[in-house]
Amino acid sequence: MSIHSKGFGPLSRRGLLQFMAVGTGAAGLAACSSQGTANTNPSSAPSAGGQTIGSSEAKDFSFASWSISEEAAKPVITGQLEKFGADKGIQISPVSYPFNEYLNQLTLQVRGGQFSGAMQLDIAWLATMSALGKLRDLSSYAEGRGYTEAGLSVGQVDGVQNGLPWTMGAIGLVANAELLQKVGADSVPSSIEDFEALLRELKGLGNGTIPYAASTKVAQLKDVQVWMQTFGCSLVENGEVTIGDEASIEAVTWYKKLYDEGLIGADVDRFDARSLFSQGKAAIYDDAPVGRAGVVADSPDPELASKLLPASRPVLNSGDAPRALAWGHVVAVVEGEAADTASEFAQWLTSDEETVVAYFEALGLPPTTEEGLAADAVKSDTFIADFSERITATAQPSPFWVYPQYGQIDTAISEQVQAVLVGQSSPADAMAAAREAATALIS
Amino acid sequence: MKLGDGAFALLLTLPGFALLCAVVVYPLVSALVSAFFEESLLYPGRDFVGLDNITAVLSGDFLRLLGQTMTFTVGTTLLPFIIGFGLALALNTKIKGAKALRGLMLIPWLVPGVVVSFLWMWIFNANYGVLNALLEGLGAIGAPQAWLAHPDTAMVAVIVAKTWQSFPWMMVMLLAGLQTVPPELYEAAEVDGAGVVRRFASITVPHLRGIIGLVILLEFIWNFQHFDIIYVLTGGGPAGSTHTFATAVYDTAFRGFDLGMAGALGLLWMLLLGILVVLYIHFSEKGEK
Amino acid sequence: MAAWLAVIVFGGFAMLPVYWLFATSLTPRAEVFSYPPKLFPSSPTLDAYRALIDNPALFAYLRNSIIVSVITAVLSVIVSAFMGYSFSKFRYRGRRSLMYLVLSSQMFPQALLLVTLYSVFSAYNLLNTYTALVLSFTTFTLPLCVWMLKGFFDTIPNDLIEAAKVDGATRLRTFFVVVLPLAAPGLVAAGLFAFVRGWNDFIFALTLAGPDKQTLPPGLVNTYIGEASTAWPELMAASLVVSLPVVIGFIALQRFLVGGLTAGAVKG
Repeated sequence: MSIHSKGFGPLSRRGLLQFMAVGTGAAGLAACSSQGTANTNPSSAPSAGGQTIGSSEAKDFSFASWSISEEAAKPVITGQLEKFGADKGIQISPVSYPFNEYLNQLTLQVRGGQFSGAMQLDIAWLATMSALGKLRDLSSYAEGRGYTEAGLSVGQVDGVQNGLPWTMGAIGLVANAELLQKVGADSVPSSIEDFEALLRELKGLGNGTIPYAASTKVAQLKDVQVWMQTFGCSLVENGEVTIGDEASIEAVTWYKKLYDEGLIGADVDRFDARSLFSQGKAAIYDDAPVGRAGVVADSPDPELASKLLPASRPVLNSGDAPRALAWGHVVAVVEGEAADTASEFAQWLTSDEETVVAYFEALGLPPTTEEGLAADAVKSDTFIADFSERITATAQPSPFWVYPQYGQIDTAISEQVQAVLVGQSSPADAMAAAREAATALIS
Repeated sequence: MKLGDGAFALLLTLPGFALLCAVVVYPLVSALVSAFFEESLLYPGRDFVGLDNITAVLSGDFLRLLGQTMTFTVGTTLLPFIIGFGLALALNTKIKGAKALRGLMLIPWLVPGVVVSFLWMWIFNANYGVLNALLEGLGAIGAPQAWLAHPDTAMVAVIVAKTWQSFPWMMVMLLAGLQTVPPELYEAAEVDGAGVVRRFASITVPHLRGIIGLVILLEFIWNFQHFDIIYVLTGGGPAGSTHTFATAVYDTAFRGFDLGMAGALGLLWMLLLGILVVLYIHFSEKGEK
Repeated sequence: MAAWLAVIVFGGFAMLPVYWLFATSLTPRAEVFSYPPKLFPSSPTLDAYRALIDNPALFAYLRNSIIVSVITAVLSVIVSAFMGYSFSKFRYRGRRSLMYLVLSSQMFPQALLLVTLYSVFSAYNLLNTYTALVLSFTTFTLPLCVWMLKGFFDTIPNDLIEAAKVDGATRLRTFFVVVLPLAAPGLVAAGLFAFVRGWNDFIFALTLAGPDKQTLPPGLVNTYIGEASTAWPELMAASLVVSLPVVIGFIALQRFLVGGLTAGAVKG
């Protein structure tokens, strides 16, 4: 991307006048030609071919990442950028946006040809970003690096390897073993009835304890979709949205029951859930491994780390595979002059053993290569080992992720679920409305 | 070469209009044109769809949005006005420390806007918010309330946060106005035996009519399109109950990537607004004659 | 007394959140989420403030914010003074319509502009520069500043302008030498309002300014609101520290603010 060293860009006073004059004149013309103004940046022209690894000279590029501005991740990622840059004799410029604004800001940048380089993406966003048609096929970089099958598959859109997996996990239940023991439980039960009964007992602990700090704000109400799956709704089948079927209505009715009885908390998103859990105010919550560091650091209980208990989600009928939503980050590369170097970087960042192990040690985010997973540091982390075995093992991507409008589909469904929770709509009506909204978005 | 006065006057407005055209009119027209197309932020090209987007918006929740936008706008105009006016009146008297208080009261206005949202999010939080603790301590509520999770209280919460941010501006403006009221007027009225209320109604308010009109008009216009505080505090939720046109347009364009629908929302808004402005100009031009 | 009552009730509403901002900034991280919250942190700590010193990015955001807001204020005052003067002291057809047109250019969702504005600035290579932000914010503040300054110019007697004309001054000279000095307090007042617009904006600053030119609002969110956690004490401490210079500046300029409005807007 072009960042000008002087604050005011390359524009002379005449240029500025011209800009305003053009604005004046163009207002009228806008009607006929509102499309054509973007894309004058030469760096946006996709460079044809040039896939051969390491054949071309290394070039400076940008690395977009939301993690890089976060306290815990900043030093380790910055250090890795510097290391790679020094090895190749190049500069990697970090680009960062707040997590919530990251996708739409990068969409604007990539669409306008303003970005070239590598970017961190949530696996849920890959299809959206791929829809812009500017991501590079990284399949040649994915070969022979020991990436796990599951890791590679989350980096693919329509069979094309648009991203290299950086970290892989799932969103699953995490319990506070100490609180469970207080009601005489040493694990989270595997049937929904027993689970509900456990929540009731936890509620009995009083003291404002929220038994299960499930998400009830729109931001993460997508968690409900996993419960819908648990109740037997497939969400999408053969390109048809199946929300609105018996199972989904049953799931939402059940969720509403937990909400009304105070077994799950009101006005809770992932942040709130983590804070409640770290304070010992919530016994169970949903999270990915990424939340652990903050939960432990913010807790007044220095022993909390040892009380974390990853648990399989209960199932409707015994023998069902427990449901969990896959979670992870990939690194994608935008076509452009520096795409070769950026691709090498993406490969190095996600599969160089030393690099991925260092990343794991700093942040506790599980690597995506067989080698990385076999490293001592990873294997000896019992939380991650348990999490992988009980949750990640059966985790699946959301069937909605393949649609570029995924974000809006999610919001549409979540708003309907929320309407049920606050009593504005019945589960059946709301799920029918959710089906209609989601169907309109994927067609 | 000598310019006529009229030409000179128009020349003076030129830089302003040039900026408005480049930064507002051109982008606006171009966004509104999208209303007639199926156009996505994600894919190149667009297809003409006539009035489809507009009928879709109209049959959707346009009226609900209009109502919520009006609630927000009226609430965030009147509340800061009342608080700002009350404080201005109080600080215009000779009470001790008025100067220092005036300075302190500017803080809410000058804390970066996003921080205002986070601060109130923090205060209203259902699980560890200080408001619940205060109200529980006073015995006003029995159990912690989820202020931002209920449609009725969420809108109130958003209005309160915006009010907190904008009352200092109202206060400063009205205080400035109050200081122009000649003290002799009050003294004369007092001699005539007029009470506090009479003096307020017959001297203060008429004298400030101009500035009151101005601050209310400007505040109304700002709040009508206000975005940041709602967006950060509730994101339009719960269940869409705090969405205004401003947040709905943003969500449609940047979460849904649907430029056509966003344009349609904007176009309907502009039509509505256009009617109001034309009526207003029509009547005020008449008034000037 | 009524005055005291108003100060206590409304002042309480105004100042309690400020207090809470301050109290939170002193609270140790492990205590932040306890309920009921402690109204006075039991073991206050300056950790959050100490962390600021290690965060040079924050001061870069502050610098960007001040540069953008100051230039916006200056430019906005200049452009709106011309426009306001035209609306105030000249009579021509359609004048009032133009005035309302300017005002109504504020009344639609600015989010609509983002996509095209992004392309326009991109085409002129202005993305990631202060210029993009300054031009946008100046334009967004024009309507208010024009209306305020017009009200202000209205109070300047026409005789003064006529007298200058008789003395042989050109119209521009009259404007700069006679009118503007008289309007100085009003210009300061308008400038401060324009400053606040640039100071507060989140979404345009986020979109149009690249990583190097990021202002405080997006910068603070980016730094303290992460994917996994929110650093409340640090966020609050940073907000207070960065607001301080501006609050002091405004208190110093408040004299003008009040004086400027006094003459200007009252008759508006």
